[in-house]
Amino acid sequence: MSISEQPHDSGEGEAPPAPASPPVRSESPADPTDDGPAPDRSAPSASPVGRLAATVERLRREVRAAQAEAEGRALVELAKGVLVERLQCGPAQAARQLMELAEQAKVTPLELAVEVINQAARDRMSEVTDAFLAATSETAEPVVDSAAVRLRAAESGALAADDTQAVADSLLQQALLPLGAVAVAIWAAGPDGSLTLAGSAGFSPVEAARWRYVPPDVVTVARRGLTERDGQWITSLAATGLPSIGRHQHPDGGRAALPAGTGGRVHGVLEIVWPTPTDPQPARIARQLEALAELCAHTLETYTLRQGSVSDPRVMPDAAELMDLADGLHDPALVLVPHLDDSGHLVDFRIQHVNGRFLDPAGRPRAVINGALLLEAYPMAAGDSELFQRVERVHATGEPFRAQRMNLTALVDQVPLSAVADISISRHGSGVLLLWRIEDETARLASLLQNAQRLGRIGGFEENLLTAEITWNGQLFDLYGRSPSSTPVPLEELPAHAHPDDTVAIRRFLRTVLHQRRSASTAFRLQRPDGVTRHIRVVAEPVLDTDGRLFAVRGAYQDISAQHWTEVALAATRDQLAHTEQQATERNRLTLQLQHAIMPPAQAPLQVPDLQVAVRYRPAETEQLVGGDWYDAVVLPSGMVLVCVGDVAGHGIEAATSMVVLRNALRGLAVTGAGPGQLLSWLNIVAHHLTGAVTATAVCGLYDPARHTLRWARGGHLPPVLVRDAEAAPLPLVKGILLGAVPEASYEEAELQLEPGDTLLMYTDGLIERRDRSVEESLRHLLTTARAAPRTLDQQLDRLLTYSRSDTDDDTCIVGIRVG
Amino acid sequence: MSIAQNPLSVEVTLPREDVALIAVEGYLDVDTATEFQHHLANQLHHGRRHFLLDLSSVPFMDSSGMNIILRVYQQARDIPGSVHIISPAPAVLRILELTGVSITVPVSGSVEEALARVDAFEGEQGGQDSPQA
Repeated sequence: MSISEQPHDSGEGEAPPAPASPPVRSESPADPTDDGPAPDRSAPSASPVGRLAATVERLRREVRAAQAEAEGRALVELAKGVLVERLQCGPAQAARQLMELAEQAKVTPLELAVEVINQAARDRMSEVTDAFLAATSETAEPVVDSAAVRLRAAESGALAADDTQAVADSLLQQALLPLGAVAVAIWAAGPDGSLTLAGSAGFSPVEAARWRYVPPDVVTVARRGLTERDGQWITSLAATGLPSIGRHQHPDGGRAALPAGTGGRVHGVLEIVWPTPTDPQPARIARQLEALAELCAHTLETYTLRQGSVSDPRVMPDAAELMDLADGLHDPALVLVPHLDDSGHLVDFRIQHVNGRFLDPAGRPRAVINGALLLEAYPMAAGDSELFQRVERVHATGEPFRAQRMNLTALVDQVPLSAVADISISRHGSGVLLLWRIEDETARLASLLQNAQRLGRIGGFEENLLTAEITWNGQLFDLYGRSPSSTPVPLEELPAHAHPDDTVAIRRFLRTVLHQRRSASTAFRLQRPDGVTRHIRVVAEPVLDTDGRLFAVRGAYQDISAQHWTEVALAATRDQLAHTEQQATERNRLTLQLQHAIMPPAQAPLQVPDLQVAVRYRPAETEQLVGGDWYDAVVLPSGMVLVCVGDVAGHGIEAATSMVVLRNALRGLAVTGAGPGQLLSWLNIVAHHLTGAVTATAVCGLYDPARHTLRWARGGHLPPVLVRDAEAAPLPLVKGILLGAVPEASYEEAELQLEPGDTLLMYTDGLIERRDRSVEESLRHLLTTARAAPRTLDQQLDRLLTYSRSDTDDDTCIVGIRVG
Repeated sequence: MSIAQNPLSVEVTLPREDVALIAVEGYLDVDTATEFQHHLANQLHHGRRHFLLDLSSVPFMDSSGMNIILRVYQQARDIPGSVHIISPAPAVLRILELTGVSITVPVSGSVEEALARVDAFEGEQGGQDSPQA
């Protein structure tokens, strides 16, 4: 940097030399491969003419000499400028001084000029030349002088050149031809990884035009050189198989591709072509070439600027955008900008910004990391993890770097911690975006466990019984309501902190763990110093040493208060459920009790002369199916006997309630002395006006003991069955609609004269109902059963129930009367 | 099960604008009663006053089916209108007689007979024109 301004200083002193040099150089780039336009074109046609060739060679030498002289003059002028500044003298005095010094030092003025410039510059070129001089003086090589001069000459030319093409010419002529190289290409690297041929010398114009642009991802020698920090050294191009400019001309030649960078940023590649296989260059030559590459970089910097494709890399107009981008990412992200030292060398990156997801591995607040230098914040980044180097590379080349499961080392409280992270580094403008996603499984699990413990309110402990050392985690102090700095409570003293009622359980737990050396757990009420009582479960296991002796106990406390109350709530719910179930059961039982209360399964026999009356009531087996069947047999005040069965549609307490209403209504109505038809007609009105549109069927008879007659009527019910002389038959189907269906209805009556021994049966359809049979079929079966009359009426009813072919679990009522 | 084996088929035709002839095919039991009822409710909703229930293809009917008939009977009576059962199978007729439903809901041998009864009803109503309570 400091050098580049010096030509201006010196240029004022004596005008001619500096402007003189460019025109001389400009001769050669016009046709780099062929030496001079005119002679060379005629050379192929007049090949035998050796004299012409000699002339060409002489002219070429002259041109070169003139060029070198021009370069030398430029350097001498430069040195004079330095002396003017240092000695505070005029240009003429400086010139004299230079000559005198040269004479004294027994060197040419040109060499002395280089010496002066080197001392003044103290730049990389100086180091190279110094080292070079030192190395060559040791081996006493005779080319010492020319090498240093050559480099400075090339530099001078390069710096004076206003375009990369001129630089290429200068480099080839001044520095590379003496090293045996025949061509040079200077590539400018695009941010997308593409290469543009910014300047070349030694190639045919056609070849140069052919290679003016290399798209991204096309692997060429130059491209290799871009990514290799130390450059690409190729003994023979053919061996690599890589394409490159001038391959057809020099297929087996050696190549060198060196990244051309300044300030840590690579702007392009310097590619050098040798005509024949070339062994890797010795270190000093390599350093020379690297220095030349750096020279190119200065020009390339300007070159890219002129292209306008990339803005000045030293400023960051896009930093704000990059920060926005970082803030939008879901991974921890750092925005880095290069940090250069005074001489423009990249020494570190400044952490311009960290996003919201960023968590410092060392747990420092974001504000501390923000604005710090990368290596200061993360000294280990420069270590084995190579993180810093990766960032540097991406910044230099613009090629993004992605790696999965990269080992990172972070220094946390002076303890290096290894972590595995997915890394992404990319360059945006002049900034670098660094993303990392810590993948450390153990760290993740540890954090998971920690959260689980926190959520589960689990506190861990370990007690060394030999040293009485107790370790608690933070959660356990919380659990105990103690500050983390207080002394942990030994397991043995647990009873002192628990509800007195839990002492026995805790003692048993301690005995199991400490004495019997078995894992154990217990629950107790922890009484905390703040007066809060928590329900705690403690789990502990003994830790035995190799001799089987108990030396530690470890385990965990869990606050089960929430769980405890959940259980309490659950228990309450369960109780309530049980209560509901019980209620339902009770309802069913109530229904049954109602049935039983109204119609005892075994009724006290009616005291009626010459008449046996028997009743059977069989409730449905399933309690909730107990329903609305009823029977009645009662001697009315008139001496008449009321017999009836009925069936309210539906089941349960509602049906049973309706049944009670109808049964009692019929009893009450019967007292009036009305006939059965009239009774059913009234009963129909009762049923019709019952809430819930109840329908019911019933058959009702009035037996006159004096006349042995039965007057009867039915409302939609099966007619009674008469068993007489081993014959069973239903009574005729007198008209009568079921009860409750219509507001008013009349019921036909019939009268039956009974004879001694006759049995009359009234029953509900629970006795005969079958899903797969018609009423007729079922009835036939009933009649068959009824016909085989056993001795007593009770036996007959029992038999009917026993042999009932009903397949529906329904209430069943039977009323039987036997005359005799 | 009976749905799968004996699905209920209900076909409604309108011999007259306010007369719905509903031909039922299948078992009228607890499984199919609801569907049957929906058809009847739909016709009631559309202003039919007379319901002719063709039960000739109903081999079996239980109390559920009977309750549906009783319900539509009560609703029709309030309009006023009427319900007629046409050609019930013997088993169904038996149930209707046993429960006395046939007393209230007249049973006809054919559609024509039922329509004649509707006419008679209309004539009766035309004279009185006062719905029964």
